[in-house]
Amino acid sequence: MGALSFANPAYLWGALAVALPLAIHLFSRRRPRPLPFGAIELVLRSQKQKRRNLRLRQLLLLALRCLLIAALALALARPSLVPRTESAQAASGPHATALVLDASLSMRYRMGGKTLFEKSRAEALAALERLTPEEPATAGLCAGPAGFGEGGLAAPSFDRAAVRRILTTAQPSEVASDMTACLDAAAHTLGESMVSGKRIFAFTDMSAHAFRLDAPPPLTPAPPSASGQAAPIRPEIVLVDAAEGAELPNVAILSVSAAAAPRLGPRGYEVAATIGNFSAHPLANVEVELRVDGHALAKGFVDLPAHETGKKLLGAVLPAGLAAGEVVLAHADGPGLDEDDARAFAIQVPRDLKALIIDGAPASLRERDEAWFVEAALNPARTAGRITAQTLDQDAAENHPLDGVDVVLLLNPQVPSKPLSERLRAFVQKGGGLFIALGDHTDPDALNESLASLLPRPLHLLKTARDPDASDGQGGLPPPARFASIDWQHPIFRVFGPTEREALESVHVNRYALLAADGKQSVRILASFDDGAPALIESQLGAGRVLLFTSSASASWNDWPLHPSFLPVVQQAVSHLAGALEERVSTASQVGDQRVISAARGSRIVQVLGPDNRPLALSRELSTNSAKEAANGFATSSKTAPGKVGSDSGAETQGQRDAFVVAVALPGVYRVQTAPMGASTNSAGEARDDPSLAFAAGLDAKESDLRRVDEAELKALLGGASSAQVASSSLSAQGNGGTALWPALLLLCVLALLGEGALTRR
Amino acid sequence: MSLDPALLARLGTLQVRARAVVEGVLAGLHRSPHHGQSVEFAEHKEYAPGDEIKHIDWRAYAKSDRYTVKRFEMESNLRAVLVVDGSGSMGFGRGVMTKLDYAKICAGALAVLLARQGDQVALMIAGAPDPRGEKLPAGVRSFLPFGSSNAHVQELLRQLDETKSEGATLLAPALDFAAEKAGRRALFIVLSDFLDAAGDEKASLAALARIRSRRHDVLALQTMDREELEFPFDDPTRFLSMEADDGPVTGIDAQPRQIRDSYLEELARFLAKVKSELGRADVEQQLFPTDAPPDRALLTLLRRRERSS
Repeated sequence: MGALSFANPAYLWGALAVALPLAIHLFSRRRPRPLPFGAIELVLRSQKQKRRNLRLRQLLLLALRCLLIAALALALARPSLVPRTESAQAASGPHATALVLDASLSMRYRMGGKTLFEKSRAEALAALERLTPEEPATAGLCAGPAGFGEGGLAAPSFDRAAVRRILTTAQPSEVASDMTACLDAAAHTLGESMVSGKRIFAFTDMSAHAFRLDAPPPLTPAPPSASGQAAPIRPEIVLVDAAEGAELPNVAILSVSAAAAPRLGPRGYEVAATIGNFSAHPLANVEVELRVDGHALAKGFVDLPAHETGKKLLGAVLPAGLAAGEVVLAHADGPGLDEDDARAFAIQVPRDLKALIIDGAPASLRERDEAWFVEAALNPARTAGRITAQTLDQDAAENHPLDGVDVVLLLNPQVPSKPLSERLRAFVQKGGGLFIALGDHTDPDALNESLASLLPRPLHLLKTARDPDASDGQGGLPPPARFASIDWQHPIFRVFGPTEREALESVHVNRYALLAADGKQSVRILASFDDGAPALIESQLGAGRVLLFTSSASASWNDWPLHPSFLPVVQQAVSHLAGALEERVSTASQVGDQRVISAARGSRIVQVLGPDNRPLALSRELSTNSAKEAANGFATSSKTAPGKVGSDSGAETQGQRDAFVVAVALPGVYRVQTAPMGASTNSAGEARDDPSLAFAAGLDAKESDLRRVDEAELKALLGGASSAQVASSSLSAQGNGGTALWPALLLLCVLALLGEGALTRR
Repeated sequence: MSLDPALLARLGTLQVRARAVVEGVLAGLHRSPHHGQSVEFAEHKEYAPGDEIKHIDWRAYAKSDRYTVKRFEMESNLRAVLVVDGSGSMGFGRGVMTKLDYAKICAGALAVLLARQGDQVALMIAGAPDPRGEKLPAGVRSFLPFGSSNAHVQELLRQLDETKSEGATLLAPALDFAAEKAGRRALFIVLSDFLDAAGDEKASLAALARIRSRRHDVLALQTMDREELEFPFDDPTRFLSMEADDGPVTGIDAQPRQIRDSYLEELARFLAKVKSELGRADVEQQLFPTDAPPDRALLTLLRRRERSS
């Protein structure tokens, strides 16, 4: 039950005016005006006719007039029906009030045609209007880990228009919120007001994830003018529950991961979606769809127990290039959070490659041909048509154009001519890949001179671990060299599982080249022999890569081509050199995070386009080698001052790469456009999408779980029932408001007036 | 041009008022006051005080040494009895004049008019008899026999002027008495509101019907006040009876707004009843609101009678 409170109780004295019609009624009954009248008989007859109704009508008139006056006096006193607890609060005087609006992703939950945020915003505006003129107010949106964001919460003021503007322009975010931090910040801000009463209205969906129940309770510092060490004040906190106590069931896609699925074909992928059922009822046959570039490629169904997650694998053959896709839950009408019904992913699907094999030692007998094993490894039948290889002898290759070629494999080369060397160098600089394998034609000095700028390290001399022509019957032959140290994390070797590594470690190498020591920083040794000599060494040159195998790619210096590990390494190496390894499934970001984007060497970032195709504001990063950028394997980063893209094209220095930090604000796929380093900053024509840098951003999965916080625990955290309450609306919670009764009383006045008029006119 | 009742009320004595009305009526008729007067000799009659001296037959005096008066045919053309209701209800009127005042003006004017034509006029005031006066039958407060001389008219006007409204309506016995007194065929002009505080207006109407059945000509002039016709009261009022202190109803407390509709219905019913009852008895009836110019009202009445005769 509530209590009546009056805004203007003095007007209640006006109710005494009820005596007026009573007095008039009684007076008029006793003292009518006497009038001698000729047609008294007619009056008598009409009086007889009306007598039955007259008394009732007079009483009714009296009642209506009394009601009119009493209702008018009551209405002027502006009565409100206030719950007993709030009526006590209302009596405690004006409050400095903070209106905290939960703007987290979960507030986008749609219920009854409106989102919880829209409902809360309307409630906050209504609460603002109900504040008395003596109560200063402030308002803020609670979203993100920083609470109220960079601007913080303004001090309470009497500028109602400013507070109203904040609320009317408020929009829900895509990130989580920390209501505990926001309540704490609001309590601190209220300390800046001189008004003794402190009150916080928090408009929220009461989701458990928004509150930290182990945090200390929010406290308002003692007023600045207070003398001595005054204890902090515990503010009144009203949590206005936008869900009005209802459970908020939801189904969401929590994560998506994609992996190559060779069984589905050369560009086959399996996308695994984790789907959560945050409701008390199990769901059957929930439809899940895989869409890539707007086209539905696969569809499946999954059963989800109550409060459990389920996994669904959706396979599809994706087109080459960047596959910007999403997994979507079939949309069901009704209440729910629509935003988490889809989750995006980005995959760089390897493109078709063209390899040119320059055979330095062709032979009419195919099995003796230097390129025979490599050709076999790159046979379209074995690469599912993904790699097309053309073989030329070295003379024919001298004038062969390299346009359209992704990777050149230089096998057992004789000393290349200077033009060929120059053309190969330019080819690599522009982003091409060069694989060099040695052999009987190798003359270290001549090769060093000819390919000086291409070789990761100069050749020093050739080492024969074991003469392949020596007879084994003599015994005591030195053992052949073996791969001893292999970088299994490198994309080339990542295909080897622990049980498959034996196939590589059992390779016997009889002869190989030793390399001279060199101070090059951008060199990576992928595999070494058991004597420590590099076996596979990689370097970056411009936008391209060079991979040197210090032994032969035929069976002349080793038996690797005869091992099953040869084929995948060659295929992976070609893909890697062409920048088309299928492992390029970018790690996803979470909306609200910041992401470092580093361009490949020799190129610079032109712009980053968000899911809405709008360019993002970028902050420049200077990056050096970093394991974090594992896809490229070269960068560590150190943040510097923000800068505009394209305005600082000379930023790249030795050992540094063009890198930026972007704020991920929306879910979806982000694309990165790059241009060669040196190209005009304004030449947009040279900018092109770099699929390797594209990434997807997803929503914070915990926002999908809208299970309610334990109200008792939350109240206990906020100071108990004396200072915290949960209300379904600000109207019922607002201490000085209550249910206004004066409109009904005014209506009663009007009705009484109309009734009185109707009765007196008859 | 018509005489405004307000102006008429300020004209002093009833004689002046009545003559003013007569002038208005005659001006309206556009006739000579002597038009239609016959000079044909009818009979000789011994002179009596009140007879016109000019009508003394001097030749007959020379022969018989007695004063004889010539009577002419026209003198016996019309005998009119003016019956004025003097009951208490006729005293109602909060405007310029009461219903009785109005009736008196009309009656006086008619008396002057008829006397001018040489018609004989009698006057009877209906009402409770004056205890100090001569003994008269019930319902007859005063009766002035027929006459047409100036002196008669003067006396008639004086009696009219002295008439006050009081007591119950006793029109029925008064009419019966007047019918007896009239003798041969006469014109009865009854000025009354026909309201009876005892609710017995039927008796008055029946008496009129009886007079008519004796082949008398009857003209009923019903005078009503505007406030009686429209009932324009708002404030709570105690309506007092004007006819009898010890009657069945002496006062009624009422909310005029509440009973106005039903009052007007009752009034309409009453007027319709008067009209229908008199109409059925072949009695000509005319309603005279007291705020209507009396000359106009009389003129309208006379013209209508002229057309009907």
